[in-house]
Amino acid sequence: MKHFLRLNVRKSYRDFVLDCEAEFDAGVTAVFGPSGCGKTTLLDCVAGMTSPDGGEILLQGAPLYSSTDRVDLAPERRRFGYVFQHGALFPHMTVRENVMYGYALTPEAERRFEPDDLGGLLGISHLMERGVKNLSGGERQRVALARALAVSPRALLLDEPLASLDAANRASILTYLRHVSDQLGTPMVYVSHSLSEVMALASNTLALSEGRRVAYGPTGEVMAHPGVAQIADYSTLENILEAEVVNVDDATGTSILGLGDTELVGPPTDAVPGERVTISIRAGDIILSLGVPPKTSARNAAPSVIRELHEVSGRMLVYLDVGERLVAEVTPASASELGLRIGQDVHLVFKSNSILVFKSETGPRTVLE
Amino acid sequence: MLDAIVVSLQVALVATLINLPIALLLSWLVVKRRIRGAFLLDILASLPLAVPPVVVGYMLLLMFGRRGPLGRALEAALEWELVFTWFAAALAAAIVSFPLTARAIMVAMQGVDERIERSARSLGAGPLRVIFTITLPLAYRGILAGVLLGFVRAVSEFGATIVVAGNIPGKTQTLPLAIYQNVQLGRDGEALSLVSISIVLAIAALAVHNWLVARAHR
Repeated sequence: MKHFLRLNVRKSYRDFVLDCEAEFDAGVTAVFGPSGCGKTTLLDCVAGMTSPDGGEILLQGAPLYSSTDRVDLAPERRRFGYVFQHGALFPHMTVRENVMYGYALTPEAERRFEPDDLGGLLGISHLMERGVKNLSGGERQRVALARALAVSPRALLLDEPLASLDAANRASILTYLRHVSDQLGTPMVYVSHSLSEVMALASNTLALSEGRRVAYGPTGEVMAHPGVAQIADYSTLENILEAEVVNVDDATGTSILGLGDTELVGPPTDAVPGERVTISIRAGDIILSLGVPPKTSARNAAPSVIRELHEVSGRMLVYLDVGERLVAEVTPASASELGLRIGQDVHLVFKSNSILVFKSETGPRTVLE
Repeated sequence: MLDAIVVSLQVALVATLINLPIALLLSWLVVKRRIRGAFLLDILASLPLAVPPVVVGYMLLLMFGRRGPLGRALEAALEWELVFTWFAAALAAAIVSFPLTARAIMVAMQGVDERIERSARSLGAGPLRVIFTITLPLAYRGILAGVLLGFVRAVSEFGATIVVAGNIPGKTQTLPLAIYQNVQLGRDGEALSLVSISIVLAIAALAVHNWLVARAHR
């Protein structure tokens, strides 16, 4: 089956109409758009929390909802893991009881993940016997993820799961989500209004505006789509990536971070060499240089190759390859002055302080078989 | 004197037992299911709070009296007359106290975050399981407070009771009715000792109620 999820739904409220058709592949698909664009309604229709007025939703070819066949499966029969913005944990239960709630309701034959393994993957093993009321925001979301994954869901549905978190937790949960996607292979539908999150996580993106599909396709292309440019705020765009600490030099107050094929000079960190951290670099902080740059006060001059160039709403988005994908944002004027083109070798110049380094509270290291 | 206390507690207890399941079901339909007509149901449930209790008693009398439709049906089916029995007092007390219980339970259920219940659904729990494992455990303090409030109201019920159940000592005479009779007969001493019992009962019940409500909002 080429597409794991196909949907075509209509749902109208008094002052809002959602009318959208899309086909999602496995992997991570983002549903992107400003608040009120209908992305949560779309997710609720998929989850069975809301009944569409018409259309159909097919999971691997089997209808979850179909107005013509009069099918509308109850949410408990769809086996999706749903994660809300604030976690929506069961406040009267411990962490373990939260995780076990859905696991116990899953038929034995369909259980693929064990709660203790999930606890290890998400770094919550040490919290299992605690109540959920005093957990930090990041811990709550990790428990919510473990609880959703414990039903061995056919897909994870995530509704702005990072919106209530601070920058450090946001970066760390993104890394956890990438690990979940890589190691467990559970498809995800990720609803967000943040371009940076979408870019960090999703291979495909569906952009919505006022209940209608604006663009759908590979995230890089969708982000540069003229229709998306109208609803997206590129000025806050950051690259959120996982890096490895190579060295920490207390004398000079710097750290060496391995990212893809290159090494970056970052700010001091209390992470130890060998530790995996999440880093963030603003797209607007990256300067492009043709040839090896002369000596500057910026500590980083990383070689890379231009993969894509997109001009949208008075900005030029440059997709760069350093073994990982990075986005830089420059003005179209400087791009044409430099004669930037696809396949060109450039150096990325930025200060060590332009890199923010986030340590995971407890690193996701356990690998599930 | 002891008779009045026993009858009162019996009447209030039975009234509460009648009300609780109905109030739970109604609150769930109105708050969680948001069924069509919820607005009207809500008003209907609160109506006894807004009309004089004597109206409730009179309506019951019209329906269950010897010439009332329900009274005749009961007479024919069971050869039993409801009017002027302690059960009539319990029924009157149940109707009059129902709004207090139902409204408190509605508030308690509204306090349970819908996203938590929806999470449970997505984890494989059907609607009934969600009620028993999520909604009721999270709302139980508010529910208990509502039950207690209804109980207190049922103990103090007077207007509807005297119309439909009369004032028969040892049978339908509750605390308020006994106080009324003693006042009528000029027996101030007995009236006052019954009054003190009522006040002590009320303070105790309200103290527990307030404690429950305070804990429910934590």
